Amino acid sequence: MIRNLQELWQYRALLWNLTQRELKARYRGSALGFLWTFVNPLLLMAVYALVFGIIQKNNIPFYTYFVFVGLLPWIWFSTSVGSGASTISDRRDLLTKVRFPAQVLPATVVATNLINFLLSLPLMVALGAVFGVWPSVYALAFPLVLFAQLVFTLAVTFIVSALNVRFRDLQHIVQNVLTLWFFVTPVLYIPNSVPEVARRLYLIVNPMAVIINSYHGIFYEHRWPHWRGLTFVTLASLVLLALAARVFEDRREEFAELV
Amino acid sequence: MSDAIVLTHVSKTFRKSTIRREYTTLKSELVRWLRRQKRPELPTSSIHALRDVSLAVPRGKTFGLVGRNGSGKSTLLKLVTGIYGPTSGTVEVHGRISALLELGAGFHPDFSGRENIHVNGIILGMSRKEIRARADEIIEFSELGDFIDEPVRTYSSGMYARLAFAVATHVDPEILIIDEILSVGDEHFSRKSTAKMEEFRRAGKTILLVTHDLGTLQRRCDLAAWLDAGELKASGDPVEVVNAYRNAVAEAEVAAVEHPANAVREPLAVQPRSGPPAEKGRRWGNFRSELGPVVLRGTDGPQHVFKADEPFRLEIGYEHFELPAGAGSLELTLRTEDGTTVWVTGVELSEAEPRGTLSLELPRLGLGDGNYLVDLLLSAERGQDVRDVQRGLHGFAVRAKAQSGLIAPVHHWTGPVSETAD
Repeated sequence: MIRNLQELWQYRALLWNLTQRELKARYRGSALGFLWTFVNPLLLMAVYALVFGIIQKNNIPFYTYFVFVGLLPWIWFSTSVGSGASTISDRRDLLTKVRFPAQVLPATVVATNLINFLLSLPLMVALGAVFGVWPSVYALAFPLVLFAQLVFTLAVTFIVSALNVRFRDLQHIVQNVLTLWFFVTPVLYIPNSVPEVARRLYLIVNPMAVIINSYHGIFYEHRWPHWRGLTFVTLASLVLLALAARVFEDRREEFAELV
Repeated sequence: MSDAIVLTHVSKTFRKSTIRREYTTLKSELVRWLRRQKRPELPTSSIHALRDVSLAVPRGKTFGLVGRNGSGKSTLLKLVTGIYGPTSGTVEVHGRISALLELGAGFHPDFSGRENIHVNGIILGMSRKEIRARADEIIEFSELGDFIDEPVRTYSSGMYARLAFAVATHVDPEILIIDEILSVGDEHFSRKSTAKMEEFRRAGKTILLVTHDLGTLQRRCDLAAWLDAGELKASGDPVEVVNAYRNAVAEAEVAAVEHPANAVREPLAVQPRSGPPAEKGRRWGNFRSELGPVVLRGTDGPQHVFKADEPFRLEIGYEHFELPAGAGSLELTLRTEDGTTVWVTGVELSEAEPRGTLSLELPRLGLGDGNYLVDLLLSAERGQDVRDVQRGLHGFAVRAKAQSGLIAPVHHWTGPVSETAD
């Protein structure tokens, strides 16, 4: 893992350049341009707010804001994993012609979506202000939650992108798994509404549940994250990342030959 | 360390499924796992791209690789670059490498030339500082002018190649790997890139290049190697390697045409004799008489590659020779591969045995360097009764080192000429 990340650091200029390019390319040629970064999650939020805030009314206060707080990090995660799956298999042009560490590619996807996420944060604060929810001292825990999610997202994206080179079915499977994953993660609801046993279970199995729950805690409920859960997730994610780096290294040989 | 690149007993095997792009599916892998079968280690359907290749490229030398398509040249370059790992053996590289395996790796069509210089430069291994320092130089070298700020997708292929080459050659590597790209762009640019290569050479950089331009290879390389079907056939002095390679190619080409028996026998149709040069390997006629086998002999018996000074003997077998006396004729046309007629000769035939051999003898072949085809036409009744026509079925090659052109006549230079002059 250390070597993997070291190489990533060596090639940080490439990582940064590709990320910039990704960000610029994503909306180049569209009229709203970069504004889509904000419009997309806003529209998604509007849909969920309409369905679960008005049609299927629930009793979570400031529901729209609540959804937005959970939705933004979820989009970071799901877009990274979803488009990360094919990030190596699609770059035949690079992999077979130039020598460079392939982990830059999935890292670029994660970094691009991370920046999108960070850029949307002011919007989230503004939306909170509309509802009268102001940032509090608990927001100081944000870097810790962010770190946990970064490690976890990076690990999952590494594994998925490496395996997809051989198993092309994976990129389609991933999309569907992500849809399921979204609904078993408390983005649209509060985990209290889940039966006690199931809640305990999936807080262990689903790190994203802990992470989203922590975001809700620091930005919406104004409390500290559940430290034990978050620490556990962070450590588990680090182990997973080490594992992902192993998988990646093992598979790396075949990238140039299989893409 | 005086060698920049050292390959020791390097082999590279691709599984065939890789090449045929048959992906293992999750399902098949699961089934295999459930049945506890091991993945077959090296299935019989593997492709040996390189077999036990050992070679060394000394520092500061220009090393050329030749070989037919699919002989493993590009695989070798990719191994040296580190894109592939060897299946067995070792690849050592001492020095910073820049590989021009494909121009414009990572170019994004929607970005301007200037933006692409940055990404491409970083991919090729330059730091941001280096790129900033050299950007103007690169733009100047590419001669794109104002186009540099237009999206790359609007470029012509020549402009694209120029920009890519400009970036690649400004990486300032110690070892430059080039796969057949000096032919890009127009005359002017190709001269410029050649000059750039010369500059690299003079600066004492190591260059490893693949080319099909044998002239370039002989002129510009200090050393050369010839790969065929993944094996190293020859390496060393470029002139010798190129000659060995050209002889082998000539042999192969001639062998490919030398199958009159396999040629499709077309029924006698109206075949205009002055039609366009027939495509390779046609045979037609009523076959009341047949020609064959045809054997070419030189100094050393049957052969396909001749020297200009060699004696040449063409033996044509025949069968069922029932010709009305004085009315049969054999016409022989010697032409180059592109259809230029070199020589036409005919002979009237007398009534003869049903089987036998006709021979044509030239004490000295006297042809210039190139590949030649022999067409035969056996007819009777002043060409009305077409018995057997064999077009493009027999061929040979002439390898004349110092003479080019169609002919190589006997000649002498007098005056102040050195002894070794040809």
